[in-house]
Amino acid sequence: MEPILKIENLKTSFMTSNGEVQAVRGVSLTVGKGEILGIVGESGSGKSVTAMSVLRLLSDTARIKEGTITFKGQDLIKMPKKELRGIRGEKISMIFQDPMSSLNPLIPVGRQVEEMIREHDPDRRKEEVKKDVLELFEKVRIPEPEKRYGCFPHEFSGGMRQRVMIAMALANKPDLLIADEPTTALDVTIQDQILRQLRELEKEYGTSIIFITHDLGVVAELCDRVAVMYGGLIMEEAPIDDIFEKTGHPYTMGLLASVPDMDQDKEIRLQSIPGSPPDMTNPPKGCPFAPRCPYARQLCASELPDFVQVGEGHRSRCFLRYSDAPADANNPFRK
Amino acid sequence: MENKWEMLESSNEEREKIWRLNRTFAGDVWFRFRRKPTAIAGFVIILLLLFFALAGPAFTDYSYSAQNLEVVNIPPRMTVYDAPDGSGYLYITQALKVVWVNRDGTLGSQLKKVREDSEHSMTIYDCKGTEVGLYYGFKPYVMVDPETRVIFSSQKIWNQSYVLGTDSLGRDILTRLMYGTRVSLLVAFVAVLVNLVIGIIFGGISGYAGGTVDAVMMRIVDIISTIPLTLYVILIMVILGTGLKSIIIALGTVYWVDMARVVRGQVLSLKNQEFVLAARTIGSSVKTILMQHLIPNAMGSILVTVTMLIPSAIFMEAFLGFLGIGLQPPLASLGTMCNDATENLRSCPHQLFIPALVICLIMFAFNFVGDGLRDALDPKLKK
Amino acid sequence: MVRYFIKRLGMMLIALFLIILVTFVIMHSIPGGPFTSDRNVSKEVEEALNEKYHLNDPLPKQFFDYVGNLLHGDFGPSYRFTGKTVNDFIANGFPVSAKLGGVTILFVILASIPMGILAAIKNGKWQDMLVMAVATIGVTIPSFVIASILIYIFSFRMGALPSFGLDSWKGYVLPVITLGGYSISYLARQMRSSLLEVMGQDYIRTARAKGLSEPKIIIRHALRNAMIPVITVLGPTVANLLTGSFVVEKIFAVPGLGVHFVNSVTMRDYTTIMGVTIFYATFLLAMVFIVDVFYCLIDPRIKYD
Repeated sequence: MEPILKIENLKTSFMTSNGEVQAVRGVSLTVGKGEILGIVGESGSGKSVTAMSVLRLLSDTARIKEGTITFKGQDLIKMPKKELRGIRGEKISMIFQDPMSSLNPLIPVGRQVEEMIREHDPDRRKEEVKKDVLELFEKVRIPEPEKRYGCFPHEFSGGMRQRVMIAMALANKPDLLIADEPTTALDVTIQDQILRQLRELEKEYGTSIIFITHDLGVVAELCDRVAVMYGGLIMEEAPIDDIFEKTGHPYTMGLLASVPDMDQDKEIRLQSIPGSPPDMTNPPKGCPFAPRCPYARQLCASELPDFVQVGEGHRSRCFLRYSDAPADANNPFRK
Repeated sequence: MENKWEMLESSNEEREKIWRLNRTFAGDVWFRFRRKPTAIAGFVIILLLLFFALAGPAFTDYSYSAQNLEVVNIPPRMTVYDAPDGSGYLYITQALKVVWVNRDGTLGSQLKKVREDSEHSMTIYDCKGTEVGLYYGFKPYVMVDPETRVIFSSQKIWNQSYVLGTDSLGRDILTRLMYGTRVSLLVAFVAVLVNLVIGIIFGGISGYAGGTVDAVMMRIVDIISTIPLTLYVILIMVILGTGLKSIIIALGTVYWVDMARVVRGQVLSLKNQEFVLAARTIGSSVKTILMQHLIPNAMGSILVTVTMLIPSAIFMEAFLGFLGIGLQPPLASLGTMCNDATENLRSCPHQLFIPALVICLIMFAFNFVGDGLRDALDPKLKK
Repeated sequence: MVRYFIKRLGMMLIALFLIILVTFVIMHSIPGGPFTSDRNVSKEVEEALNEKYHLNDPLPKQFFDYVGNLLHGDFGPSYRFTGKTVNDFIANGFPVSAKLGGVTILFVILASIPMGILAAIKNGKWQDMLVMAVATIGVTIPSFVIASILIYIFSFRMGALPSFGLDSWKGYVLPVITLGGYSISYLARQMRSSLLEVMGQDYIRTARAKGLSEPKIIIRHALRNAMIPVITVLGPTVANLLTGSFVVEKIFAVPGLGVHFVNSVTMRDYTTIMGVTIFYATFLLAMVFIVDVFYCLIDPRIKYD
């Protein structure tokens, strides 16, 4: 598959009063044309920061320290701001987590979507743009688009606002859509509708999607491929079926175990991974997951493992997948 | 590494380790407060001013009210002329009197006038038996030898008797400044204390009772807050008459509205929290809940409001003093000192600028401390 | 929205009535009545004066007579200046004060908002530090100190600007700076923190993700939102100008209503104190109401609250 976006060795830090927080510590990813890539991880794993780094939408305290982000042959990191603005919203657009606060409360929603189109195509006639917006509203299933056009965000429900955001993000038929936990703040039923819509729209426009979430269930429904992040690093990357059937990393196993499984007994239905994520101002020199990993060895605490290819398009960052790892009772991969 | 495949032993404690320094709440506040240089500077200034106002009068020989009409409007830095015998200096006051100044810069008494020599625009004074002339033909006025009309050599020296000079009634400005600072701080502290008590009671009851009582009490607060405070304070001063007690009463009953709102907000947000519910479940009385649980937890924002109210009270006292409806003379406050000095602003700017500077210092100090406290107490800022 | 305004209006009328009641009670509770403190007034004269000013009527009657007169715009006679009415003072003083206040508020708005915007945009840079330093000085130094320093430097030392009177535009410079100093600083700080807060909002990130340039983001998305909290403090700002005018009019010898008020306080001219207080309170409440209306117009969310 032809890659549309290629992230290589991305390192992003936040400069805070307590020191440098190394949120992303060397992430490499590719997104193919028309592909939906899921990035999964708990909060603080660096998944959102990775996504924000693509369009350089991070706060002032953040610095992209290393790496390249190649989009259509151009490095987005080195690109001048002015040129980057031409890409934002036109070629790559974003949907954010909280639809309540992502829309300007003082501007009617229709005009906010309209602004997206006119910014990148200022010569178009007003009526024409409005027609486009109404069409978009229809497409994302906002009822009575004509009436809703002049409404303010506070008159909308959360799900409706997220639809407006999706309409906005798709307004210029972008090549890539980055969705940063778009369904986290919504009710489960609404969540499902939004996901189905994203899927349809991807089919219709051929837009590639990076979908960020902490919910493996959502990933299973939507994505073609998944990258699991922890402690600012990718731990495992695999096609969607492999993640569930040939799980290649203890952390992913932990994540899967914490998705409630109705087939199991009540007592063991819901499990959690004991412990809390590492302190990123002073990241551990070994595998970041080692302190919480039930299979961790002495080696894991002192050295960072490299990726091991464990299947077609499937790689895992774990010493237990190394060829010299002992096949003892505490190695889940060598039984 | 020999044992690299041995299992890594990690205790649960380590896993659950919270990656932050653990401090007590007060320690945490102090830690963040300490890191703001302006807040620390303000704190130190407040301590110094308190020392100046409380202990200062013990070190001065003058009283705040004793007038010495011989030495009126003398600045801290004086232009003086050498006396003919060289044993001291002569200083010309604004009222065209000549004052003896000792070599060490302390002031002596006024010279005796001998006669008026209007032909030569001179007043002749007797200086230890020698005649000296004050020439007033043109400005600046100078001391001359009445015979030869040679101007005595002049120089600038610091006033050692009255370090900050004297005011228009010959009172020591430094001493008045100490008493003025004392009065201003006293008014502010007492007024804020009264506000605090009223505010806590009113806000506490309103927040705790809730329902209709709360609605009515807050409506009262709303209505009161539409009344301009300055007008209210002035009206109170009209009824009670000028004086220290009236000022304290006026200021003490004017700012509680803000305090009541803050306290009510705190109580409302705290009262539904688990620990209060827990206290209620084990049968604690209303009073215990209020005093043991709610007020201590609300203390943070109350403290900030207090530090912000103190400069407001000082501001208002200075304002009243300046308008001439504050303290009665000879009692001094920083505001009345400024007011007294406005008439002499052109010739004696120091009389106004010195108390004004102290007012500014107090204002800055309390504002900085208040800002620092607010930031230190705001848990949202914790990173 | 109409209901909301009616409610606000009702609360204001109640507040106004209470203010009138309280000032009336206060003024009539002063022991001995207004004329006893005069040394050279004999018993008979005092009685005659009391009769003339209806001070022998029962208090409730006096109160309702007074309120009735107020409704006709009649504030009654002055106790101290025979032949003068409180209306005379207001008619003479208020236009002068209002002109000075109007110029000042214009100056305040035109100076503080750009200052706050500049400081917020240049957050942490020297422009920000400069604006914040000026603003800190402005809110901490009392206006009479600022006025004295200005007069000393610009009038006495440099002789560039008059130290009293409002005869030419030059006469306005120092009073306007003095009167507006606090409000400019306060509003500039408000504007800065408000704009900074808005710039950190999610919808600004959305606007960035749309590809808008920073100036466009500030003008289209940030400014209007940041103005809302600033507008809410405009009401109190007018109040500040009003009470600030007591000091400024005294220092610069401006024959405005503030000076009349302070004089009537020191001379214990009770009807004037009462009348001017009520006049001020009415004016202020009206101002707060206007600001409220304005606020509702700019923020669409308020209608539904």
